[in-house]
Amino acid sequence: MSFYADFCIPFIAGATVMFAAIALKYVTWLKRLPKSDLMLIAKGIPTPRTAGAVWEIFRESLLHRRIFRVNPLLGYMHMSLAFGWFLLIVVGWTETVAYLGMRWVPLQGHVFFKYFMPMNGIEGHKPFFDFVMDLLLLFVLSGVALAWFKRFRSRSMGMKRTTKHVLFDRVALTALWFVFPARLVAESITCGLYGGGSFLTGGIGAGLAAAVPPEALAMAYEPAWWFYSCALGVFFVAMPFSRYMHIFTEIPLIFLRHYSLRPEAKEKSYDNFEIQACSRCGICIDPCQLQSQLGINDVQSVYFLRDRRYAMLQQKIANNCLMCGRCEAVCPVGINLNTLRLNSRSTMRNIPNERRYNYLAGLDRSQGEGRVGYFAGCMTLLTPKTLAAMQRIFEAAREDVWWADKDGGVCCGRPLKLSGEVDSAQKMIDYNKELFRRHGITTLVTSCPICLRVFREEYGLQGVEVLHHSEYILRLMHRGRLSVKYSAATFTYHDPCELGRGSGIYDEPRAVIEAVGHLTEPAHTREDALCCGSSVANTAINDAQQLRIAEGVAQELDATDAETVVTACPLCKKAIMRGTARRVADLSEIVAENLGR
Amino acid sequence: MINFGYSINKPRVIDIDRNNLHKSNEILREMPELQACIGCGSCTATCTAGNLTSFNFRKVHTLVRRGEYQGAYEEMNKCMLCGKCRLVCPRGINTRGVVMLIKRKLGDF
Repeated sequence: MSFYADFCIPFIAGATVMFAAIALKYVTWLKRLPKSDLMLIAKGIPTPRTAGAVWEIFRESLLHRRIFRVNPLLGYMHMSLAFGWFLLIVVGWTETVAYLGMRWVPLQGHVFFKYFMPMNGIEGHKPFFDFVMDLLLLFVLSGVALAWFKRFRSRSMGMKRTTKHVLFDRVALTALWFVFPARLVAESITCGLYGGGSFLTGGIGAGLAAAVPPEALAMAYEPAWWFYSCALGVFFVAMPFSRYMHIFTEIPLIFLRHYSLRPEAKEKSYDNFEIQACSRCGICIDPCQLQSQLGINDVQSVYFLRDRRYAMLQQKIANNCLMCGRCEAVCPVGINLNTLRLNSRSTMRNIPNERRYNYLAGLDRSQGEGRVGYFAGCMTLLTPKTLAAMQRIFEAAREDVWWADKDGGVCCGRPLKLSGEVDSAQKMIDYNKELFRRHGITTLVTSCPICLRVFREEYGLQGVEVLHHSEYILRLMHRGRLSVKYSAATFTYHDPCELGRGSGIYDEPRAVIEAVGHLTEPAHTREDALCCGSSVANTAINDAQQLRIAEGVAQELDATDAETVVTACPLCKKAIMRGTARRVADLSEIVAENLGR
Repeated sequence: MINFGYSINKPRVIDIDRNNLHKSNEILREMPELQACIGCGSCTATCTAGNLTSFNFRKVHTLVRRGEYQGAYEEMNKCMLCGKCRLVCPRGINTRGVVMLIKRKLGDF
């Protein structure tokens, strides 16, 4: 049997282009990986991590479990298209084997099996496969129908806004929408002429045969298959250059991630896997407060990744991000959006300057003696109430404290790093590290989550435990060194981005608040908490815009009707204070006010 | 010539007519809010780098606006970008943005 017909040409050409383009991409990216990354891959392959990756690929690339969590209907849409198409391929291949045995059949022979093997007069007709294939086609078509529906009613699928697509995406999307309806038509006509098919293609085929004269049906036969083949061909050609590249990129990405590859503060080849694994689903758009509060529509992660992928990223887009991590928390592909944004900024701005910050040499303005060091951080120095409260807490706990920067110190380096000047930030990091080492502290407490994050992630302080003051205060309470009075006061708590999503500290501040009074939660809380808008990561928005974001957050906190808004970040405190008439206090203040004897 | 043991200082006047204001205009076009500066100096008073060195943010950006670019990039490089100045600015100027903008216009990125 020959498996060739002229109408297969668009399909064959499209598939060839697609596989060649994908292979070229993979080879280039893998070849450019740094040696350390290649070592990680080599070490990881013969471990159970590989099995873990396969399991995750099944769950996420086919079933799309994480999208189900955003919205069940949206999840079903993605699952029906991905898992349905996958099953169509697998069952289609099984069907070919069932009819023809284990012999080599070219790709188009599998894909256009109904054309090459019409069901009239063949021996051993297997209606089971007709039924399953029809069921699967219906499954996929239901997803396509939902995708059409989502175009004009995205809200009913849990998305207020969807992505604005570029030309290649539109071409690919249109082709994809036509692939399955075209398949339905082609197979139905074939069934109408030659029999076979089940409830769907068979049913429509029988209807067509009854309604349309056989000559007309025969005339539509070839064009229908041509159209199906063209739709597939166009989709395949557009795929590697459009968002649909995610289909194949997510698979190696999951493997690499299981082998512990991660993006870093400077761009590297691994980033390509993350960037092209973005499906531009647009789930990151709605959580972005720059969108919801300020109506800024072109800076969200989906657009940032798109611009970076097509090498048209502008500095103003890269800079306009709060790096609050709300998008990262919902990204169904789990892309490290903040790190990618950071290393883009680094590429655009990082100018190593050896003489920069030479003035730090030999500087030491610290005071006091103690194994416990307290690093207030620049922002805490601007909120003297927090500083005074910490002093009272240290005194109440009879802690000998080494004050690292009470009289003005050197910035922790994170703000500069977030702006992209990674090498210069390292000078401040080195300076502070040396300062901590010289004073021999074993515990480092900070009341600024921005400092906390860089201390934990970048400093590599061996032998020094780094604690946020919320963790430290809770520990003092647990050890009986600090007692607080419980009162009927009501509090609500704002999760700082760098503390919550950034460092995973949610429970400690809440435990401290519940020891002094009653805690009520705002509408967005914990992993879903809003950003105060004053993030040091954003140098693009102006004061009025910062204020609008802060007012949005304050409104939610006001709605809890708590007497005091508590937060655990000096920057959040300053921002929220501008948006509400209610009292805003740092965690340490409410503890210091309610110290027991 | 007789050496009197002293000399005459070079004139310290800033002549806006003679200074090249091209960069300055570019900076103000991209960051118009900088014109709202009242020169109160809160930024400098609170500055982390200014606490440790003679870095004076108000002075630098004022000179840059007048077309006096000499040494401004090197001065700005002392800034740690901590953002305290932005929090205390009574006119709500995006000072961190100003630092980055001046460095971009006068420096090498």
